[in-house]
Amino acid sequence: MVVDTPPLAAEERLQIYAGMYLWRIVDALRENFPRVAAIVGHDAWAALMRAYLAGHPSEHPSIRHVGRALPAFIAAEPPPGAPPYLADLARLEWTRLDVFDAADAPALTLADLRRTAPEDWPTLRFAPVPAFARLTLTFPVQRVWAAAEQGDAAPLEPSRTALRVWRRDFLVYHAPMDDHEERALACMLAGEPFAAVCEVFSDLDAESAARAAGTLLASWIEDGILGRASPDR
Amino acid sequence: MAEMVPYLGHGIGLRPVHFPRLLDGTARADWFEAISENFMIAGGRPLTVLERARAEAPIVLHGVSLSLGSVDPLNERYLDELARLVARVEPAWVSDHLCWGSFGGHYAHDLLPLPYTEEALAHVVGRVRRVQDRLRRRILVENVSSYLAFRHSVMPEWTFLAEVAERADCAILLDVNNVHVSARNHGFSAEAYLDAMPRARVAQIHLAGHSDHGTHLLDTHDGPVVDEVWRLYRRAVERFGRVSTLVEWDDRIPALDVVLAEAERARALEAEVLFGESRVGARSA
Repeated sequence: MVVDTPPLAAEERLQIYAGMYLWRIVDALRENFPRVAAIVGHDAWAALMRAYLAGHPSEHPSIRHVGRALPAFIAAEPPPGAPPYLADLARLEWTRLDVFDAADAPALTLADLRRTAPEDWPTLRFAPVPAFARLTLTFPVQRVWAAAEQGDAAPLEPSRTALRVWRRDFLVYHAPMDDHEERALACMLAGEPFAAVCEVFSDLDAESAARAAGTLLASWIEDGILGRASPDR
Repeated sequence: MAEMVPYLGHGIGLRPVHFPRLLDGTARADWFEAISENFMIAGGRPLTVLERARAEAPIVLHGVSLSLGSVDPLNERYLDELARLVARVEPAWVSDHLCWGSFGGHYAHDLLPLPYTEEALAHVVGRVRRVQDRLRRRILVENVSSYLAFRHSVMPEWTFLAEVAERADCAILLDVNNVHVSARNHGFSAEAYLDAMPRARVAQIHLAGHSDHGTHLLDTHDGPVVDEVWRLYRRAVERFGRVSTLVEWDDRIPALDVVLAEAERARALEAEVLFGESRVGARSA
Protein backbone atom coordinates (compact mmCIF):
# COMPACT_ATOMS: atom_id res chain seq x y z
CA MET A 1 0.00 0.00 0.00
CA VAL A 2 2.82 2.40 0.86
CA VAL A 3 5.50 3.33 -1.63
CA ASP A 4 9.14 2.41 -1.01
CA THR A 5 11.04 5.58 -1.88
CA PRO A 6 14.79 5.40 -1.25
CA PRO A 7 16.39 5.90 1.14
CA LEU A 8 13.44 4.76 3.26
CA ALA A 9 11.40 1.60 2.82
CA ALA A 10 7.65 1.61 3.33
CA GLU A 11 7.95 0.02 6.76
CA GLU A 12 10.38 2.71 7.90
CA ARG A 13 8.04 5.43 6.63
CA LEU A 14 5.15 3.96 8.62
CA GLN A 15 7.40 3.77 11.66
CA ILE A 16 8.01 7.54 11.47
CA TYR A 17 4.31 8.10 12.09
CA ALA A 18 4.07 5.41 14.77
CA GLY A 19 7.00 6.89 16.64
CA MET A 20 5.65 10.44 16.39
CA TYR A 21 2.27 9.31 17.75
CA LEU A 22 3.76 7.90 20.94
CA TRP A 23 6.16 10.78 21.55
CA ARG A 24 3.48 13.36 20.93
CA ILE A 25 1.36 11.80 23.70
CA VAL A 26 4.41 11.33 25.94
CA ASP A 27 5.19 15.03 25.66
CA ALA A 28 1.59 16.24 25.93
CA LEU A 29 0.86 14.23 29.05
CA ARG A 30 4.18 15.15 30.60
CA GLU A 31 3.01 18.75 30.31
CA ASN A 32 -0.33 17.87 31.90
CA PHE A 33 1.21 15.72 34.70
CA PRO A 34 4.68 17.24 35.27
CA ARG A 35 5.10 15.99 38.85
CA VAL A 36 3.87 12.48 38.14
CA ALA A 37 6.15 12.31 35.10
CA ALA A 38 9.12 13.64 37.10
CA ILE A 39 8.64 11.01 39.80
CA VAL A 40 8.12 8.15 37.32
CA GLY A 41 11.20 9.10 35.28
CA HIS A 42 11.80 9.40 31.55
CA ASP A 43 11.91 5.75 30.41
CA ALA A 44 9.20 4.56 32.77
CA TRP A 45 6.97 7.46 31.67
CA ALA A 46 7.18 6.35 28.04
CA ALA A 47 6.36 2.78 29.11
CA LEU A 48 3.42 4.05 31.17
CA MET A 49 2.14 6.00 28.16
CA ARG A 50 2.38 2.90 25.94
CA ALA A 51 0.39 0.88 28.46
CA TYR A 52 -2.14 3.67 28.99
CA LEU A 53 -2.72 4.33 25.29
CA ALA A 54 -3.24 0.62 24.57
CA GLY A 55 -6.41 0.76 26.62
CA HIS A 56 -7.27 4.44 26.28
CA PRO A 57 -6.81 5.70 22.74
CA SER A 58 -7.73 9.34 22.30
CA GLU A 59 -11.45 9.83 21.65
CA HIS A 60 -11.54 13.61 21.53
CA PRO A 61 -10.31 15.94 18.79
CA SER A 62 -8.32 17.96 21.31
CA ILE A 63 -5.20 16.34 22.79
CA ARG A 64 -6.06 18.21 25.98
CA HIS A 65 -8.41 15.36 26.96
CA VAL A 66 -6.15 12.37 26.36
CA GLY A 67 -5.04 12.16 29.98
CA ARG A 68 -8.46 12.22 31.63
CA ALA A 69 -8.39 8.53 32.56
CA LEU A 70 -4.70 8.47 33.55
CA PRO A 71 -5.23 8.99 37.32
CA ALA A 72 -7.60 6.01 37.46
CA PHE A 73 -5.20 3.97 35.29
CA ILE A 74 -2.32 4.69 37.66
CA ALA A 75 -4.53 3.69 40.61
CA ALA A 76 -5.40 0.40 38.90
CA GLU A 77 -1.95 -0.34 37.39
CA PRO A 78 0.73 1.65 39.21
CA PRO A 79 4.14 1.71 37.54
CA PRO A 80 6.76 -0.52 39.25
CA GLY A 81 8.37 1.24 42.17
CA ALA A 82 5.87 4.10 42.17
CA PRO A 83 5.07 5.71 45.52
CA PRO A 84 1.61 4.69 46.75
CA TYR A 85 0.34 8.27 46.46
CA LEU A 86 1.09 8.61 42.74
CA ALA A 87 -2.56 8.23 41.67
CA ASP A 88 -3.65 10.93 44.13
CA LEU A 89 -0.94 13.24 42.80
CA ALA A 90 -2.22 12.58 39.26
CA ARG A 91 -5.77 13.39 40.36
CA LEU A 92 -4.63 16.72 41.77
CA GLU A 93 -2.67 17.62 38.64
CA TRP A 94 -5.67 16.78 36.41
CA THR A 95 -8.14 18.65 38.61
CA ARG A 96 -5.92 21.74 38.48
CA LEU A 97 -6.03 21.53 34.67
CA ASP A 98 -9.83 21.37 34.69
CA VAL A 99 -9.99 24.39 36.98
CA PHE A 100 -7.51 26.29 34.78
CA ASP A 101 -9.81 25.87 31.75
CA ALA A 102 -13.12 26.36 33.55
CA ALA A 103 -15.62 28.99 32.52
CA ASP A 104 -15.20 32.53 33.75
CA ALA A 105 -17.77 33.96 36.14
CA PRO A 106 -17.90 37.03 38.37
CA ALA A 107 -16.96 36.29 41.96
CA LEU A 108 -18.84 37.53 44.98
CA THR A 109 -17.16 40.47 46.70
CA LEU A 110 -17.39 41.90 50.21
CA ALA A 111 -19.06 44.95 48.70
CA ASP A 112 -21.75 42.66 47.26
CA LEU A 113 -22.35 41.19 50.72
CA ARG A 114 -22.50 44.59 52.39
CA ARG A 115 -25.35 45.49 50.04
CA THR A 116 -27.32 42.52 51.44
CA ALA A 117 -29.74 43.40 54.21
CA PRO A 118 -28.72 41.79 57.53
CA GLU A 119 -32.08 40.02 57.85
CA ASP A 120 -31.36 38.24 54.55
CA TRP A 121 -28.03 36.77 55.64
CA PRO A 122 -29.34 33.56 57.22
CA THR A 123 -31.20 32.65 54.06
CA LEU A 124 -28.41 33.50 51.61
CA ARG A 125 -27.52 30.61 49.36
CA PHE A 126 -24.07 30.67 47.84
CA ALA A 127 -22.82 28.81 44.82
CA PRO A 128 -19.21 28.29 43.75
CA VAL A 129 -17.79 29.77 40.58
CA PRO A 130 -17.17 27.24 37.76
CA ALA A 131 -13.38 27.45 38.32
CA PHE A 132 -13.60 25.50 41.57
CA ALA A 133 -13.31 21.86 42.59
CA ARG A 134 -12.89 19.76 45.68
CA LEU A 135 -10.98 16.52 46.03
CA THR A 136 -10.99 13.79 48.63
CA LEU A 137 -7.68 11.93 48.65
CA THR A 138 -6.10 9.05 50.53
CA PHE A 139 -2.77 10.82 50.83
CA PRO A 140 -1.95 14.45 51.72
CA VAL A 141 -0.11 14.99 48.43
CA GLN A 142 -0.10 18.75 48.89
CA ARG A 143 2.78 18.17 51.34
CA VAL A 144 5.01 16.75 48.59
CA TRP A 145 3.83 19.13 45.85
CA ALA A 146 7.00 21.24 45.73
CA ALA A 147 9.40 18.29 46.04
CA ALA A 148 7.50 16.28 43.43
CA GLU A 149 8.25 18.94 40.82
CA GLN A 150 11.90 17.89 41.08
CA GLY A 151 10.98 14.22 40.88
CA ASP A 152 11.52 13.76 44.59
CA ALA A 153 9.16 11.00 45.80
CA ALA A 154 9.27 11.82 49.52
CA PRO A 155 7.50 9.22 51.67
CA LEU A 156 3.98 10.00 52.81
CA GLU A 157 1.76 8.26 55.30
CA PRO A 158 -1.84 7.81 54.19
CA SER A 159 -4.20 10.30 55.80
CA ARG A 160 -7.61 11.18 54.44
CA THR A 161 -7.31 14.64 52.92
CA ALA A 162 -9.87 17.08 51.56
CA LEU A 163 -8.53 19.73 49.18
CA ARG A 164 -10.18 22.66 47.50
CA VAL A 165 -8.85 23.76 44.12
CA TRP A 166 -9.65 27.17 42.68
CA ARG A 167 -8.55 29.77 40.16
CA ARG A 168 -7.91 33.43 40.79
CA ASP A 169 -6.38 35.89 38.33
CA PHE A 170 -5.56 33.05 35.94
CA LEU A 171 -3.55 31.13 38.55
CA VAL A 172 -4.69 27.84 40.09
CA TYR A 173 -4.34 27.15 43.81
CA HIS A 174 -5.08 24.24 46.08
CA ALA A 175 -5.28 24.01 49.85
CA PRO A 176 -6.29 21.42 52.44
CA MET A 177 -9.57 21.88 54.30
CA ASP A 178 -10.15 21.06 57.94
CA ASP A 179 -13.28 19.23 59.00
CA HIS A 180 -15.31 22.41 59.53
CA GLU A 181 -14.49 23.84 56.13
CA GLU A 182 -15.11 20.54 54.37
CA ARG A 183 -18.57 20.18 55.93
CA ALA A 184 -19.39 23.86 55.43
CA LEU A 185 -18.45 23.58 51.78
CA ALA A 186 -20.54 20.43 51.35
CA CYS A 187 -23.48 22.31 52.86
CA MET A 188 -22.98 25.24 50.54
CA LEU A 189 -22.65 23.00 47.49
CA ALA A 190 -25.86 21.19 48.47
CA GLY A 191 -27.67 24.52 48.21
CA GLU A 192 -28.21 24.94 51.94
CA PRO A 193 -28.77 28.48 53.23
CA PHE A 194 -26.02 30.27 55.17
CA ALA A 195 -27.71 29.53 58.48
CA ALA A 196 -27.33 25.81 57.82
CA VAL A 197 -23.70 26.30 56.78
CA CYS A 198 -23.05 27.97 60.14
CA GLU A 199 -24.50 24.91 61.91
CA VAL A 200 -21.32 22.96 61.12
CA PHE A 201 -19.63 25.10 63.81
CA SER A 202 -22.18 24.10 66.48
CA ASP A 203 -19.47 22.17 68.33
CA LEU A 204 -17.95 25.54 69.25
CA ASP A 205 -19.29 28.14 71.69
CA ALA A 206 -21.52 30.76 70.08
CA GLU A 207 -18.89 33.48 69.89
CA SER A 208 -16.22 31.17 68.44
CA ALA A 209 -18.71 29.69 65.99
CA ALA A 210 -19.70 33.13 64.68
CA ARG A 211 -16.08 34.15 64.34
CA ALA A 212 -15.11 30.90 62.60
CA ALA A 213 -18.03 31.10 60.17
CA GLY A 214 -17.23 34.71 59.37
CA THR A 215 -13.53 33.99 58.88
CA LEU A 216 -14.31 31.09 56.59
CA LEU A 217 -16.75 33.13 54.52
CA ALA A 218 -14.20 35.93 54.26
CA SER A 219 -11.51 33.51 53.06
CA TRP A 220 -13.86 32.06 50.43
CA ILE A 221 -14.65 35.57 49.21
CA GLU A 222 -11.00 36.63 49.22
CA ASP A 223 -10.08 33.53 47.20
CA GLY A 224 -12.87 34.30 44.74
CA ILE A 225 -14.53 30.91 44.96
CA LEU A 226 -18.08 32.13 45.51
CA GLY A 227 -20.30 33.29 42.72
CA ARG A 228 -23.29 35.50 43.25
CA ALA A 229 -25.39 34.86 46.34
CA SER A 230 -29.17 34.87 46.34
CA PRO A 231 -31.53 35.15 49.31
CA ASP A 232 -34.68 33.10 49.63
CA ARG A 233 -37.75 35.18 48.74
CA MET B 1 -2.87 37.78 -4.90
CA ALA B 2 -5.98 36.00 -3.72
CA GLU B 3 -8.88 38.32 -3.18
CA MET B 4 -10.69 35.66 -1.17
CA VAL B 5 -9.49 37.03 2.16
CA PRO B 6 -8.13 40.40 3.27
CA TYR B 7 -4.35 40.93 3.12
CA LEU B 8 -3.12 41.01 6.71
CA GLY B 9 0.65 41.28 6.27
CA HIS B 10 3.07 39.13 8.27
CA GLY B 11 1.87 37.45 11.43
CA ILE B 12 2.94 34.96 14.07
CA GLY B 13 1.34 32.15 16.01
CA LEU B 14 -0.34 32.81 19.35
CA ARG B 15 1.62 30.64 21.83
CA PRO B 16 1.20 30.30 25.62
CA VAL B 17 4.84 31.13 26.30
CA HIS B 18 4.18 34.60 24.84
CA PHE B 19 0.88 35.18 26.67
CA PRO B 20 2.45 37.54 29.26
CA ARG B 21 3.56 39.91 26.46
CA LEU B 22 0.07 39.78 24.99
CA LEU B 23 -1.52 40.50 28.32
CA ASP B 24 0.75 43.45 29.07
CA GLY B 25 0.19 44.86 25.61
CA THR B 26 3.80 44.75 24.42
CA ALA B 27 3.27 42.11 21.72
CA ARG B 28 2.86 43.80 18.35
CA ALA B 29 2.27 41.80 15.19
CA ASP B 30 0.29 42.37 12.02
CA TRP B 31 -1.95 39.45 12.99
CA PHE B 32 -2.01 36.29 15.02
CA GLU B 33 -2.90 32.69 14.19
CA ALA B 34 -4.51 30.72 17.00
CA ILE B 35 -4.75 26.93 17.09
CA SER B 36 -8.51 26.47 17.33
CA GLU B 37 -8.44 23.41 19.62
CA ASN B 38 -6.37 25.26 22.23
CA PHE B 39 -9.23 27.71 22.67
CA MET B 40 -12.14 25.30 22.62
CA ILE B 41 -12.31 25.49 26.39
CA ALA B 42 -14.81 27.04 28.76
CA GLY B 43 -12.75 29.96 30.04
CA GLY B 44 -9.58 31.07 31.77
CA ARG B 45 -6.41 32.75 30.63
CA PRO B 46 -6.16 31.40 27.06
CA LEU B 47 -9.51 32.85 26.03
CA THR B 48 -8.77 36.15 27.75
CA VAL B 49 -5.49 36.36 25.85
CA LEU B 50 -7.23 35.49 22.58
CA GLU B 51 -9.77 38.25 23.09
CA ARG B 52 -7.06 40.72 24.10
CA ALA B 53 -5.06 39.87 20.97
CA ARG B 54 -8.21 40.15 18.87
CA ALA B 55 -8.84 43.64 20.23
CA GLU B 56 -5.39 44.69 18.95
CA ALA B 57 -5.02 42.78 15.68
CA PRO B 58 -6.78 40.37 13.34
CA ILE B 59 -6.96 36.74 14.42
CA VAL B 60 -7.06 33.67 12.23
CA LEU B 61 -8.25 30.29 13.55
CA HIS B 62 -6.13 27.33 12.45
CA GLY B 63 -7.44 23.88 13.32
CA VAL B 64 -5.71 20.52 13.41
CA SER B 65 -8.61 18.14 14.03
CA LEU B 66 -11.22 18.65 11.29
CA SER B 67 -9.86 15.45 9.76
CA LEU B 68 -11.18 16.44 6.34
CA GLY B 69 -10.00 13.23 4.72
CA SER B 70 -11.24 10.80 7.35
CA VAL B 71 -13.96 8.26 6.57
CA ASP B 72 -15.43 8.84 10.04
CA PRO B 73 -18.43 11.18 9.89
CA LEU B 74 -17.55 14.82 10.46
CA ASN B 75 -17.48 15.47 14.20
CA GLU B 76 -20.61 17.60 14.63
CA ARG B 77 -19.82 18.46 18.24
CA TYR B 78 -16.38 19.68 17.17
CA LEU B 79 -17.97 21.74 14.40
CA ASP B 80 -20.43 23.25 16.88
CA GLU B 81 -17.57 24.21 19.22
CA LEU B 82 -15.60 25.64 16.31
CA ALA B 83 -18.63 27.63 15.16
CA ARG B 84 -19.04 29.04 18.69
CA LEU B 85 -15.38 30.04 18.77
CA VAL B 86 -15.73 31.66 15.34
CA ALA B 87 -18.73 33.66 16.58
CA ARG B 88 -16.78 34.71 19.68
CA VAL B 89 -13.58 35.96 18.03
CA GLU B 90 -14.70 36.77 14.50
CA PRO B 91 -11.53 35.53 12.82
CA ALA B 92 -10.44 36.90 9.47
CA TRP B 93 -10.62 33.29 8.24
CA VAL B 94 -10.60 29.67 9.39
CA SER B 95 -8.23 26.98 8.17
CA ASP B 96 -7.39 23.32 8.63
CA HIS B 97 -5.44 20.64 6.79
CA LEU B 98 -5.66 18.38 3.78
CA CYS B 99 -5.25 15.17 5.77
CA TRP B 100 -7.01 12.62 7.93
CA GLY B 101 -6.38 12.11 11.62
CA SER B 102 -9.18 10.02 13.02
CA PHE B 103 -10.64 6.56 12.51
CA GLY B 104 -13.27 4.65 14.44
CA GLY B 105 -13.73 7.61 16.77
CA HIS B 106 -10.06 7.57 17.79
CA TYR B 107 -7.73 10.47 17.12
CA ALA B 108 -4.09 10.26 16.12
CA HIS B 109 -3.44 13.95 16.79
CA ASP B 110 -1.43 13.93 13.61
CA LEU B 111 -1.87 15.16 10.04
CA LEU B 112 -1.86 11.93 8.06
CA PRO B 113 -1.52 12.06 4.26
CA LEU B 114 -4.22 10.90 1.87
CA PRO B 115 -4.05 8.74 -1.21
CA TYR B 116 -4.49 11.05 -4.18
CA THR B 117 -7.31 9.29 -6.01
CA GLU B 118 -10.54 10.43 -7.62
CA GLU B 119 -12.50 8.74 -4.84
CA ALA B 120 -10.55 10.56 -2.13
CA LEU B 121 -10.90 13.81 -4.04
CA ALA B 122 -14.68 13.54 -4.22
CA HIS B 123 -14.79 12.59 -0.55
CA VAL B 124 -12.70 15.55 0.59
CA VAL B 125 -14.52 18.01 -1.64
CA GLY B 126 -17.85 16.91 -0.16
CA ARG B 127 -16.61 17.35 3.38
CA VAL B 128 -15.05 20.75 2.72
CA ARG B 129 -18.36 21.93 1.28
CA ARG B 130 -20.25 20.70 4.33
CA VAL B 131 -17.82 22.39 6.70
CA GLN B 132 -18.12 25.64 4.74
CA ASP B 133 -21.91 25.39 4.84
CA ARG B 134 -21.81 24.75 8.58
CA LEU B 135 -19.43 27.63 9.32
CA ARG B 136 -21.05 29.83 6.67
CA ARG B 137 -17.73 30.85 5.28
CA ARG B 138 -15.06 29.69 2.91
CA ILE B 139 -12.21 27.87 4.69
CA LEU B 140 -8.53 27.53 3.83
CA VAL B 141 -7.04 24.06 3.39
CA GLU B 142 -3.35 23.56 4.10
CA ASN B 143 -0.92 21.09 2.52
CA VAL B 144 0.83 18.92 5.13
CA SER B 145 4.34 17.56 5.41
CA SER B 146 4.33 13.84 4.74
CA TYR B 147 6.66 10.87 5.15
CA LEU B 148 4.84 8.26 3.10
CA ALA B 149 2.92 8.04 -0.15
CA PHE B 150 0.35 5.54 -1.35
CA ARG B 151 0.87 3.21 -4.29
CA HIS B 152 -2.63 3.72 -5.62
CA SER B 153 -2.41 7.52 -5.93
CA VAL B 154 -3.18 8.52 -9.52
CA MET B 155 -2.20 12.18 -9.36
CA PRO B 156 0.43 14.28 -7.59
CA GLU B 157 -0.43 16.03 -4.34
CA TRP B 158 -0.39 19.48 -5.94
CA THR B 159 -3.00 18.48 -8.51
CA PHE B 160 -5.15 16.98 -5.75
CA LEU B 161 -4.95 20.14 -3.63
CA ALA B 162 -5.67 22.43 -6.56
CA GLU B 163 -8.69 20.30 -7.53
CA VAL B 164 -10.04 20.32 -3.95
CA ALA B 165 -9.81 24.11 -3.94
CA GLU B 166 -11.54 24.49 -7.31
CA ARG B 167 -14.31 21.94 -6.78
CA ALA B 168 -15.07 22.86 -3.15
CA ASP B 169 -14.57 26.58 -3.85
CA CYS B 170 -12.24 26.88 -0.87
CA ALA B 171 -8.92 28.65 -0.54
CA ILE B 172 -5.41 27.28 -0.07
CA LEU B 173 -3.08 27.81 2.86
CA LEU B 174 0.21 27.10 1.14
CA ASP B 175 2.79 25.91 3.65
CA VAL B 176 6.05 26.52 1.84
CA ASN B 177 8.07 24.65 4.48
CA ASN B 178 5.76 21.63 4.11
CA VAL B 179 6.24 21.74 0.33
CA HIS B 180 10.00 21.68 0.84
CA VAL B 181 9.85 18.86 3.45
CA SER B 182 7.53 16.69 1.35
CA ALA B 183 9.49 17.37 -1.83
CA ARG B 184 12.68 16.14 -0.16
CA ASN B 185 10.93 13.13 1.42
CA HIS B 186 9.29 11.99 -1.80
CA GLY B 187 11.70 13.23 -4.45
CA PHE B 188 9.47 15.67 -6.29
CA SER B 189 10.10 19.25 -7.31
CA ALA B 190 9.04 21.88 -4.77
CA GLU B 191 9.08 24.47 -7.54
CA ALA B 192 6.67 22.38 -9.61
CA TYR B 193 4.35 22.24 -6.59
CA LEU B 194 4.29 26.03 -6.27
CA ASP B 195 3.89 26.52 -10.00
CA ALA B 196 0.82 24.25 -9.99
CA MET B 197 -1.04 26.23 -7.34
CA PRO B 198 -3.94 28.32 -8.71
CA ARG B 199 -2.96 31.95 -8.11
CA ALA B 200 -6.41 33.10 -7.13
CA ARG B 201 -6.81 30.39 -4.48
CA VAL B 202 -3.62 30.87 -2.43
CA ALA B 203 -4.85 33.05 0.43
CA GLN B 204 -2.21 32.45 3.08
CA ILE B 205 1.36 31.22 3.31
CA HIS B 206 3.03 29.43 6.22
CA LEU B 207 6.77 29.58 6.90
CA ALA B 208 8.43 27.37 9.50
CA GLY B 209 11.54 25.46 10.45
CA HIS B 210 12.09 21.72 10.27
CA SER B 211 14.70 19.17 11.31
CA ASP B 212 16.96 17.12 9.06
CA HIS B 213 17.30 13.46 10.01
CA GLY B 214 19.48 12.49 7.08
CA THR B 215 17.08 10.05 5.46
CA HIS B 216 14.18 12.44 5.78
CA LEU B 217 13.12 15.87 6.93
CA LEU B 218 10.70 16.15 9.85
CA ASP B 219 8.21 18.99 10.13
CA THR B 220 9.09 20.00 13.68
CA HIS B 221 8.44 23.78 13.63
CA ASP B 222 11.22 24.09 16.17
CA GLY B 223 13.64 26.50 14.56
CA PRO B 224 14.14 29.33 12.11
CA VAL B 225 13.20 29.11 8.44
CA VAL B 226 16.06 27.57 6.44
CA ASP B 227 17.60 29.12 3.30
CA GLU B 228 15.94 26.72 0.86
CA VAL B 229 12.53 27.62 2.26
CA TRP B 230 13.32 31.35 2.03
CA ARG B 231 14.15 30.75 -1.65
CA LEU B 232 10.82 28.96 -2.10
CA TYR B 233 9.04 31.84 -0.38
CA ARG B 234 10.70 34.24 -2.81
CA ARG B 235 9.37 32.13 -5.67
CA ALA B 236 5.92 32.13 -4.03
CA VAL B 237 5.88 35.93 -3.79
CA GLU B 238 7.03 36.19 -7.40
CA ARG B 239 4.18 33.92 -8.48
CA PHE B 240 1.36 34.91 -6.13
CA GLY B 241 2.22 38.49 -5.22
CA ARG B 242 1.20 39.81 -1.86
CA VAL B 243 -0.20 36.98 0.33
CA SER B 244 -0.79 37.07 4.11
CA THR B 245 2.16 35.17 5.58
CA LEU B 246 2.57 33.54 8.95
CA VAL B 247 5.68 32.31 10.73
CA GLU B 248 4.98 29.10 12.65
CA TRP B 249 7.22 28.27 15.60
CA ASP B 250 5.67 25.62 17.82
CA ASP B 251 8.49 23.95 19.70
CA ARG B 252 11.61 25.24 21.47
CA ILE B 253 9.93 28.58 21.05
CA PRO B 254 12.30 31.51 21.51
CA ALA B 255 11.52 34.96 22.86
CA LEU B 256 8.72 36.78 21.07
CA ASP B 257 11.11 39.26 19.46
CA VAL B 258 12.97 36.41 17.74
CA VAL B 259 9.77 35.09 16.16
CA LEU B 260 8.74 38.63 15.21
CA ALA B 261 12.14 39.08 13.56
CA GLU B 262 11.41 36.07 11.31
CA ALA B 263 8.11 37.70 10.34
CA GLU B 264 10.00 40.93 9.61
CA ARG B 265 12.44 39.04 7.42
CA ALA B 266 9.50 37.67 5.44
CA ARG B 267 8.06 41.16 5.14
CA ALA B 268 11.38 42.52 3.88
CA LEU B 269 11.70 39.72 1.32
CA GLU B 270 8.19 40.34 0.04
CA ALA B 271 8.89 44.07 -0.24
CA GLU B 272 12.16 43.39 -2.05
CA VAL B 273 10.45 41.12 -4.58
CA LEU B 274 7.50 43.43 -5.14
CA PHE B 275 9.47 46.68 -5.00
CA GLY B 276 12.04 45.23 -7.37
CA GLU B 277 9.30 44.39 -9.91
CA SER B 278 7.87 47.92 -9.81
CA ARG B 279 11.34 49.49 -10.10
CA VAL B 280 12.01 47.45 -13.23
CA GLY B 281 8.60 48.49 -14.54
CA ALA B 282 9.35 52.20 -13.92
CA ARG B 283 12.70 52.00 -15.73
CA SER B 284 11.08 50.17 -18.69
CA ALA B 285 8.49 52.94 -19.01
